[in-house]
Amino acid sequence: MNIENFELIYKDSRVIIKDKPKIKLRLGEIVGNENVSDNEIDILAYNKDTTLITLNWTLEGKIAALPDFIVWPETPEQISSILKLANEEKIPVIPFSEGSGVVGGAIPIYGGIILDMKKFNKILEINDKDLTVTVEAGTNGMNLERYLNAKGYTGGHIPQSLYTSSVGGWIAHRAAGQFSSKYGKTEDMVMGMELVLPKGDVIKFKTIARASTGPQLDKLFIGNEGTLGIVTKATLKIWPYPEKRAFISYAFPTFEDSLEATRQILRQQIYPAVIRIYDADETYRHFGHIEKAKDSVMVVFVCEGIERLVDLEATITRETCEKNNGIECGEEPVEHWFETRFRVTETSSTPTFKMVADTIEIGFLWDKAAEMYHSVVEAAKNVKGVIMITAHVSHFYPNGVGFYFTFAGIPPQEKSDFQFYQEVWNTIVKAVEDAGGSFGHHHGVGINRSKWMPVEWGKAFDTLKAIKNLLDPNNILNPGKIYESPWEKGGEN
Amino acid sequence: MGEILKKYKWMGPIIDAMDRDVKRLFMKNFRMRDKNFFPEGEYKADIKNLVNCMLCPNMCRFDCGTLQAEQKETMSPAYKARIGYYLTIGKIDPSKEENKAFIDLMYKCSNEESCKIWCPFEFSVVSLLETVRDDLNDKGLMPDYCKEQIDKLKKTNTIEDHNIYETYKEKGIENIETDGNDEVYYYIGCESMKFPEVVKANIELLKKAGVRFSTNLETKVCCGGPAFNIRDLETAKDFANRNKDLIEKTGANVVVSDCPGCVVTLTSRYQKAGIEIGTKVIHIVEYIKQLIDEGKLKFEKNVSDEFSKITIHDPCLIARNLNDTTSIRAILNKIPGLEISEPMYNKDSVHCCGWSGTAHWADRSLAIKEAKNRVNELKETGSNVFLSACPLCELGLAYGLSEGDKENIKIIDIAELLIKAL
Ligand SMILES: Cc1cc2nc3c(=O)[nH]c(=O)nc-3n(C[C@H](O)[C@H](O)[C@H](O)COP(=O)(O)OP(=O)(O)OC[C@H]3O[C@@H](n4cnc5c(N)ncnc54)[C@H](O)[C@@H]3O)c2cc1C
Repeated sequence: MNIENFELIYKDSRVIIKDKPKIKLRLGEIVGNENVSDNEIDILAYNKDTTLITLNWTLEGKIAALPDFIVWPETPEQISSILKLANEEKIPVIPFSEGSGVVGGAIPIYGGIILDMKKFNKILEINDKDLTVTVEAGTNGMNLERYLNAKGYTGGHIPQSLYTSSVGGWIAHRAAGQFSSKYGKTEDMVMGMELVLPKGDVIKFKTIARASTGPQLDKLFIGNEGTLGIVTKATLKIWPYPEKRAFISYAFPTFEDSLEATRQILRQQIYPAVIRIYDADETYRHFGHIEKAKDSVMVVFVCEGIERLVDLEATITRETCEKNNGIECGEEPVEHWFETRFRVTETSSTPTFKMVADTIEIGFLWDKAAEMYHSVVEAAKNVKGVIMITAHVSHFYPNGVGFYFTFAGIPPQEKSDFQFYQEVWNTIVKAVEDAGGSFGHHHGVGINRSKWMPVEWGKAFDTLKAIKNLLDPNNILNPGKIYESPWEKGGEN
Repeated sequence: MGEILKKYKWMGPIIDAMDRDVKRLFMKNFRMRDKNFFPEGEYKADIKNLVNCMLCPNMCRFDCGTLQAEQKETMSPAYKARIGYYLTIGKIDPSKEENKAFIDLMYKCSNEESCKIWCPFEFSVVSLLETVRDDLNDKGLMPDYCKEQIDKLKKTNTIEDHNIYETYKEKGIENIETDGNDEVYYYIGCESMKFPEVVKANIELLKKAGVRFSTNLETKVCCGGPAFNIRDLETAKDFANRNKDLIEKTGANVVVSDCPGCVVTLTSRYQKAGIEIGTKVIHIVEYIKQLIDEGKLKFEKNVSDEFSKITIHDPCLIARNLNDTTSIRAILNKIPGLEISEPMYNKDSVHCCGWSGTAHWADRSLAIKEAKNRVNELKETGSNVFLSACPLCELGLAYGLSEGDKENIKIIDIAELLIKAL
């Protein structure tokens, strides 16, 4: 056995499956023997998602968790049967798609059955008049987007993880793409859905532009993180591929100036598809080669759409930046961002220096956004071992913004990397909650933030838990996430 | 180290601001990096890039043919690299019988190298896996399906269990032995011998253009490509040296092959193994394009209706390795009345037929699934004639056809179409 050579991180409260051969047989009856495995080589492949601390563990020969079985269903009916079996036998089922989640959502912390959605990978229909695409939930983002592009459309959802995430994963985490100011976030894009509920019922939400047919129940499942239902199919909005793109960048003397300029742009109902403000540290890191950006705050914009609209948006964007002390830096910084936006190399290097790093994205209304930024930076700096805390503002709305913090640190000798990791996470989330923000903008709750659900939700959390209990009385669907906190004992500054 | 310092220049102020304890730890981790994670040892594996790959968020996964065929995380590029790393550092012991599946994973790659297009480190996964195979070979752990290929090469000089070149007479292929003074050596791949009509068509084309050439089937041997894939470099070099002699004996100015795998092997792979063939080696599509440009070949006839609507399947080795996506199209554009449709994944973003690399030996059903995916992409064009310029592609695509497809779809080599238009 090789697995024994790997230190297991999440080892508490693991489910004990008494008769594994029997379960395997029954799973095989449902999905076919080739679509079920308990082989070490598969088990090891599904021990983690892309939560950054798991990369440190991978390098050190540790595994996050240990599933008992992997299944690869191909139909909603098969998923339904698997869930019925899991309820009978009280075995956790963990939906898994592309595994790019960064908050532990797909980590099988109590063991059980990983239900991989990858075989739901068909693009079923484009409706040009309705501007919709219907797609199976396991479809990879880039494979969807390049298909749409080839047919003259865009889905408008371009997360940095486009290459490595799926439609189901986006819906599960209420994800946001880099072009969200124009096209919206996942919750703005989903028009219809098919899901399998924890007890095995298959339900469908009709595709409709808007309706008044009672409560908007479908929204309950957008952001459910595989705990209330498994998405098998979705109908999403699409758009004609933009006719023109304008690249604009400005350097601002202060972070406050840059926030003010972008706020005013949105207030005028101007929606550049991409807006990104880099604080002074990130400006130095990413745009150190741009002379005009020295000691400044860089902001990049991409306006896209039909030519006349793009020209107008570009003009107003420029004017508003200039009114707020912005210095024009031309197209080059935006081109640089465009070229490098998918070139992620840091995840490969930081663990080799035994550095612990991660990104934490949060939501905030405009009013106190700048104050919140400073208080998070201050709080994180006070954690012993933190060597870097920087941010960019990555998502913009007329009423608020999404911040994206990056931290890195060296765990002090008295702490394990995991303890240090939890301490920084908890410190940042607490600072955000204290300042009145929301602890997550698009990565979800997963394991990393579940401890903070009662704070974020207040009494409404009881309602959410009651719904979970109603739909999933045996708590078999993705346990250990959202509603309970495996990190409960984790450090807090 | 210099590279790292340059790349992380932005960390200067961060390091300056660190307090003493943290800086001490940081510097220690920096110094100990290699010792901690890239230990010295008797291995050839490219351990640093295996780590780069295994810790990457799998940014090439959507274009990995084997992953897209299998739709299992186990087949993902970063996971293959992770297993390569663990096999190298002994975390997974390759010598244990129970770990055979992990070894097999190192061969489940179809060499298509689309991953390289998206890789921030600019390598292909197969280039890493090959270094792991080197170590497995050194430990005597070459998988049986690879040994079989090597045995065949040694026994028959070809990839078949009999010398496939000796079948030329029964297949009606004309053999032209060199007089040492050729213009061209038409270098027929072992795989191409499975498609005698293609070989005959190429011979007809060369003759029509008045080229002085030889085929030398009496002495012809495999280029050694399979041994390079398997990383049995001793066998590979032996074939390289024999080919070098055979090629030089022809006196040809140019070697023209119908197999992209042979072209890549005779050129860059030989070069990397330290064996330089003095003669220029090109794929036959490049040569035919030249002949057309020089006015030596003309296509004047319309092809029959049956073949008048084709879709192009670019061989990935021609498109991405030889960087030539224009020759095929330039030639086809000379055929009167031919309707050409392009699949969505074409030119240098073509998807593999499943039959390149070692995957089809390690896991035939995986290769067939990959072939099926490609067939489906080609079918989307609505054309029933799939045209390629590589015997492996033609073989792989055929495996990808369903029973129903077999009745409707034709897979042809460009040469077969060209002779219809002569
Ligand atoms: C380099 C990098 C960049 C990233 N950039 C962004 C970004 O720009 N924007 C952004 O929003 N996120 C980003 N992320 C995070 C991640 O890509 C998203 O959370 C993504 O939505 C996860 O999709 P996935 O298919 O990989 O899901 P997985 O990781 O497989 O699963 C995530 C969660 O969804 C559940 N789940 C998966 N499929 C289903 C389904 N069909 N039905 C129900 N539940 C399901 C799982 O149980 C789990 O809880 C990034 C991640 C990385 C590594």
